[in-house]
Parts: sequence; C-alpha cells; structure tokens
Amino acid sequence: MKWLSILGILVITILIILYEWPKLKKNQKKEKKAFAVLLLTSVTLSIVLLYFPDIPGPTELIDTIFKPFGNLLSNL
Amino acid sequence: MLEKGKISAIQLIILLYPTITATAILVLPATTGSFAKQDMWLSPIWASTFGYLSIFIAYALHKYYPQKTLIEYSEKIVGMIPGKLIGFGFLFFLLHTNGMNLRDYGEFVVGNFLQKTPIIVVVLSMAFVCAITVYGGIEVLARSSQFFFPVFVVLFLFIIVLLIPVLNPKNILPVMGEGLTPSIKGALIPSQWFNEFILISFLLPYLNKKKNAFKWGVLSVSLVMITLVITNLFSLLLFGDITSYFTYPFMDAARYISIADFLQHVELIVMALWVTGMFIKISVFYYAIVLGTAQWLGLTSYRPIVFPIGFLLVVLSIWVTPNLQKLTEFSSTTWPVYAFVFQMFIPVSLLLIAMLRKKKSN
Repeated sequence: MKWLSILGILVITILIILYEWPKLKKNQKKEKKAFAVLLLTSVTLSIVLLYFPDIPGPTELIDTIFKPFGNLLSNL
Repeated sequence: MLEKGKISAIQLIILLYPTITATAILVLPATTGSFAKQDMWLSPIWASTFGYLSIFIAYALHKYYPQKTLIEYSEKIVGMIPGKLIGFGFLFFLLHTNGMNLRDYGEFVVGNFLQKTPIIVVVLSMAFVCAITVYGGIEVLARSSQFFFPVFVVLFLFIIVLLIPVLNPKNILPVMGEGLTPSIKGALIPSQWFNEFILISFLLPYLNKKKNAFKWGVLSVSLVMITLVITNLFSLLLFGDITSYFTYPFMDAARYISIADFLQHVELIVMALWVTGMFIKISVFYYAIVLGTAQWLGLTSYRPIVFPIGFLLVVLSIWVTPNLQKLTEFSSTTWPVYAFVFQMFIPVSLLLIAMLRKKKSN
C-alpha cells in the first residue's frame, strides 16, 4: 500500500506546482528557489517518513536540549 | 511591504482570542488540575500576567519599529547574522508548535468522533482549508475568523449555561487550603499559552488604527483569562479531584449534559467549537510562519510559499509524535520551557537591547 501513499504525495506535489508555478514571474528568482526548496524538502521528508516512521524528529531534538529544564519544572 | 492588507482592532481580538483559547479550554483543565487541585480556577489569573507582559513587550518593540514584524526587527536590533539566527529559531518554534497543533486537532477528531478515518485525511483537509485562508492574506484571515468567532462564543456559552444545573459547588472547598503555592504551580504551563500572545507582533504592523492597540491587546488577554477561569471552574465543580485524569475534561463535561432526556450528546457542540477554534488557531500560526519565512528570506511575495509550507506542516504533524500520549507528555514537560525561551526570553532580550541602543543614540 506504500506505493499508493507515494502516488498521493506525488499527486499533491504536482497539483501544487501546476497551481503555483505559472503565477511566478520570470524575474522572481528568489521566490522560485524558495518554492522549490520548501516543496522538495516536504516531499522528501514525507517519503522518508513513510519508510522510516521512527526517525528522530524535531520533538526529539528539542527534548534532548530542554529535557533537563523540563524535569526541573515537573519536580517543583 | 509584503502584506498590503489592514485589519481593525476588533479583528485583532477576534484573531487572538480563539488562537489561545481553542486548545486551552480543552487541554489545560487537566494539566492545571494535576498541579493546583481545587485551586485550579485561580491558576489562569496568575498565568495571565505573562499574557499582559507579552502584549507589553510586543507593543514596546512595535513602538520602536512600527512597520516591522519580530523577524524583521530582530535583524535591526542584534545585527544581521544573530538576527537571522533568532529569526530561524523563532520560525522553527512556530512551525514545530503548529505541527503539534495540527496533530492535536487530528487526534481529537479521530479519537472522539471519526474513529475509522485515517488521521492524515483529517489533518490534510484542515491544512488545506487553512492554506486557502492564508493565501488570501491577513484581511481574508481576519474576515473568516470574524465569521467563525460568534459561532465559537455562542457554542461556548451554550455549553456553560447547560452545565450549570449539574455543578456541585462544594468541590471548590477548601479555597487555597494549602496557600497560594499549588495554584501558582498550576499556572506554569498555562503561562505559555498566554505567552502565545507574542504572535501579536506579526499582526500589529497591519493594524489600521494604532492608537488603542495596547488597550485592545490587554482586553483580549483579559477575555482569555475569564474564559479559562470559567472552564477550569466548571470542570472542577463537575469532576472535583478527578479532573486531571481526563484528557479533555471540558469534552467529558459536555457528555454529562442531559436535559429531560431530550437534549443529549451535546459533546458534538464541543466538536464544532474545537473545529472552528482550531481553524483560527492553526491559520494564525500558519500566517505568522509564512509571513515570517518570506521576510526572513527577503521575498517579494509570500504567496508562492504558502502551499509548500502547508505540505511541510502536514508532514510535521505526523512526524512530531508517534502518539497522543507522547504529545501530551511533551507539551506538559519540555514544551513550556522551550516555549518560554522563544516566546518570552528572546522578545525580552530584544526589547532590552533595543532600549539600550536607543539610549546610546540619544
């Protein structure tokens, strides 16, 4: 069933590109770059997460940084 | 200027009030109750000081840089590279928190109502609606929340009134039986909800009449405080000591409503309340992220990145946590500290540095 999810992700991506790309003007280079990079990040991330749902995410990152202080709070 | 729209002061309140209360009325009675016990209704009052402080800081910074948002003036205040770093951190925080909001929304809807629907469907449809709103800009955002706000308030009052007959006033005793400490401890986590008022710094530059901006900000904090005191009080009067064992006490309170065996299943109204409130909350966060990112990257328009960021939000909502239990644990242990750093510590430091700079240049 994973290929179905990937298909879904690709359909959404294509729809976003079809909707947004024609609206970008020729001289909006920066906007094009930002659009492409953000979309690519999301697509890659969603496909990676589909195969490895347990890779540590932002929550784990923040947890390792702030956990000591958080424990302090709950021990009050 | 990236955003050409203008909003009125009333719209500012209408945007901010649901942004804080949407999740607060459902989640906070349980977390506050576990610390403050029968004094939990006092906690929002202490916590609201952080809300007033947030408004004050955002307003003071706004006075120094009237046309700029937090992402823009942090560069002006601490210099290019540290400013960009602060901006990145703040955007990361907003993105992460909004991913959690979206997941919270999905978990609630799936857990209570649409039990056989995959969570991704619920989350994706919400993100899509929010994306369309954000795409329309701040005026569309303000007007759509203006449309939903009365629904939110009326439904809330409806539940409150229906709950009155089943309350047990004895649950409130003893008031401050162990002094002030438990209620202040209970205020620690809600204080970070109040600190979300720092989002006002993304809306202030687009206010059409700036004269009473501070007053309106203070009024919206007070309204949120009153709402939270009422929800906490009602959850307490209904459930007493066991409030903290529920995930959504207010939701379970609504299940108790039964009038003459005729008016039942009022919890569906809580669902409607949650959907309208969450729509505004997620949209306001989403708007701040999109606008902030466009300013951070120096784009000429924020529209091209609305949908890619919406996609990222959906992915994040799945990524942030494996299940609801982990999410609840994270948002009551680590998140308050994390939020405090970005919502309070950084804005306060920015304000102090801005003040020092001003003094030096005079």
